[in-house]
Amino acid sequence: MQDYVNQSIKRTVLKNGIVVIAVENPAADIIATRIFLRAGSRCELKSQAGVAHLLAAVLTKGTSKLSSSEIADRVESLGAGLGADAAADYFLVSMKTVSADFPEMLELAGQLLRMPTFPEAEVELERRMALQAIRSQQEQPFTIAFEQLRQAMYQNHPYSMSGLGTEATVSNLTRTDLQEYHHSYFRPDNIVISVVGRIAPEDALAQIEQVLGDWEAPTTPLPTLNLPTIIPFPHPTVTRQQTQQSIVMLGYLGASVGSPDYMALKLLNTYLGNGLSSRLFVELREKRGLAYEVSAFYPTRLDRSQFAVYLGTAPENTAIALEGLRSEVDRLCKIPLEPEEFQAAKNKLLGQYALGKQTNAQIAQVFAWYEILGLGIEFDTIFPEAITAVTAEAAMDVACRYFVEPYVSLVGPGYAVDGLVEQGSQN
Amino acid sequence: MRLSVLSQLPKVSEFPADVFRLENGLTVIHQYISATPVAVVDVWVRAGAIREPNEWSGMAHFLEHMIFKGTDQVLPGVFDQIVENRGGVTNAATSHDYAHFFITTAVPYLADTLPYLAELLLNASIPADEFSRERDVVLEEIRQAQDNPDWLGFQALMESVYECHPYGRPVLGTEMHLLNHSPEEMRSFHSCHYQPENMTVVIVGGVDRESALDMVEQSFQQFATRSDCRQLATKIATPLREIRRQELCLPSIKQARLMMAWAGPGVEELRSGYGLDLISALLGDGRSSRLVKQLREEEQLVSNVSSSFSLQQESSLFTISAWLEPQYLQIVEGLICSSLAELHSSPMSEAELKRSKRLLCNDYAFSTESPGQLAGLYGYYNTIAEAEIAVTYPQQIQGFQALDLQQLAQQYLSPERYAVTILKPND
Repeated sequence: MQDYVNQSIKRTVLKNGIVVIAVENPAADIIATRIFLRAGSRCELKSQAGVAHLLAAVLTKGTSKLSSSEIADRVESLGAGLGADAAADYFLVSMKTVSADFPEMLELAGQLLRMPTFPEAEVELERRMALQAIRSQQEQPFTIAFEQLRQAMYQNHPYSMSGLGTEATVSNLTRTDLQEYHHSYFRPDNIVISVVGRIAPEDALAQIEQVLGDWEAPTTPLPTLNLPTIIPFPHPTVTRQQTQQSIVMLGYLGASVGSPDYMALKLLNTYLGNGLSSRLFVELREKRGLAYEVSAFYPTRLDRSQFAVYLGTAPENTAIALEGLRSEVDRLCKIPLEPEEFQAAKNKLLGQYALGKQTNAQIAQVFAWYEILGLGIEFDTIFPEAITAVTAEAAMDVACRYFVEPYVSLVGPGYAVDGLVEQGSQN
Repeated sequence: MRLSVLSQLPKVSEFPADVFRLENGLTVIHQYISATPVAVVDVWVRAGAIREPNEWSGMAHFLEHMIFKGTDQVLPGVFDQIVENRGGVTNAATSHDYAHFFITTAVPYLADTLPYLAELLLNASIPADEFSRERDVVLEEIRQAQDNPDWLGFQALMESVYECHPYGRPVLGTEMHLLNHSPEEMRSFHSCHYQPENMTVVIVGGVDRESALDMVEQSFQQFATRSDCRQLATKIATPLREIRRQELCLPSIKQARLMMAWAGPGVEELRSGYGLDLISALLGDGRSSRLVKQLREEEQLVSNVSSSFSLQQESSLFTISAWLEPQYLQIVEGLICSSLAELHSSPMSEAELKRSKRLLCNDYAFSTESPGQLAGLYGYYNTIAEAEIAVTYPQQIQGFQALDLQQLAQQYLSPERYAVTILKPND
């Protein structure tokens, strides 16, 4: 994987600004394609939260040449995959095809990008579905805990909400909102396309040139984002619910991918929460039997990300689980990590990073994502070098600066979650 | 059963892996892939929940947890560290038909890690103190599942379809059963089933055949002393002769679920199973499939509808599920039954047949890309039938005619005989 990728990766910029990344992998007769746009829910106005998600749902439902059912027929009669998704930092169209069907699917993707029609009836249908999905988020205790955590942490910043938006904002979204969002962000100088599979890079490039080469970039600049400053204000949030388990989650404002602290935080996250030998797993699950799922996450983000640890536990164990999670995070800035355990965390993070680039789709995803975040495909080599260079002292210093006071999020039966944190509770 | 499978299905000569039977009865499957720096070992054991006597419900899955708790030679946690410190990943899963355990790692580290996995599997000591602590972890796993409404609905549906057959009870077991298990009983279950003739060791990736065979031969030698296996009660589910209906009210859900199920043939009639897989694609795979098109896109009665076919050794499972507002439950169930009646009365069109075949054959290509996917595929098939059959799937699918499928629908998918579970939000 690594070897042939680095040998054959080819990055080209078309005249209109589209960045094309191509990797030839002859192993299987399939091609994975990722079309990234610098957009996503990060670019939404607060009053239009959910617009990128709704656009993704309606994008594949009409072009000036094809109706919704004609598009579905075309994709499915080829047995291909086509999807559109809005993430926090980007918008994505993905395709998987057998090699012979690539040209036809690329032509279709070109239509979707350049001439979607957002039919009124389809907007209405998908809007109702989005509202339903927003309500259904309340069905799972983990989701409730995660949603209230990010609202507490991010206030007015777009990261405060799931990409779905809220019932209030989605109820007001219109076809015009989709058209305006499309007009602002769907332009060739805002796009990265990666193609990985049984296709020569020059062929991939020529076909993309043929489908999208005559798409002219507008002379107007891209919209500038004025995102609100995130003001640290750690406070607890609690939802009482008759669940079998309590969810206990601790969040800390983290660093953006561009921050010098990013690498150390990635390592600390791996050390705490990644895998069967991670600190939280061993201390809270293996030694104390407190949880089945206990983990940590620190997603890579353009703006300040969140560093969180969590577990699900029997309601009567809520208090000791909260104490356990808290003391494990606090320990990181009190006791330096032993050289062996620090090296083990590096090995784990870098080993799993390499294992994450096995399929065509994974390779296409990683390189185009780095490009759209502004890190460049070279981040694939920078990342392991930078992780290797982090010292235990530097990691401890980062831990002391970031892990001061957690945002605590609790979901569980009232008797279990009441009185654990000093804060009026909801529900 | 294995003979009838052999006689029914033509084996293709181009099975890309080698299959060996060692003297002790252990099956080893190996495939060398030159372009990958990854190696996978995946060990499949015919020791799933169907091997449990009724009163031992949950034992197979609990044992899968306890395998990781060490042997006289390897302390708990050591194996996890050895794999993860080398950047590898390890995990396991248990279902009704199997338990399996895998390591994914960079090629040079397979030799360091595989002997430890073999030691755990063959010589699990199941220490009493670890047993009671790990039981708490499994109880947390059950609590977490019980907070998931779709899991609850699915278990209720399985109980209704399969009644006292082990497919009707949850792999996780119940709290009551788990509290009654003892380490001695688990050791007895282990020494009965974790024997060479019940196990398949699959190695796929950048490891040559000689090294792979050497590693397995050296590590998989000393199996536990056999114990007598407990007699299993006869386990025949009463065929569905009516509509078995049940309704659950769940306060946490925001949308109703309609879940319908039919029992299909076991693996001895694999070809019929593949036909049902095609029917499932026709009904519920993609926007142009019959049910999605009618119920979601046109009549807009559901927010989601899907169909699924799961191959199981003794009786496969066909399900249709919809997410919808409670007021549409009755009408949607009626429309699904009409759709089945239509399958009985007229053959599907050539275009529909072609589309469904292409979807399934491409899905097969998309899901056999990485060493881990291939190892899983071979191991699974060898556990329930024969490894070589795995790769005949596309050829089998291509062989179907519309009339074959019409006949299979008449035989297995009755609109008058099925199990249905409805989940309703509390009013």
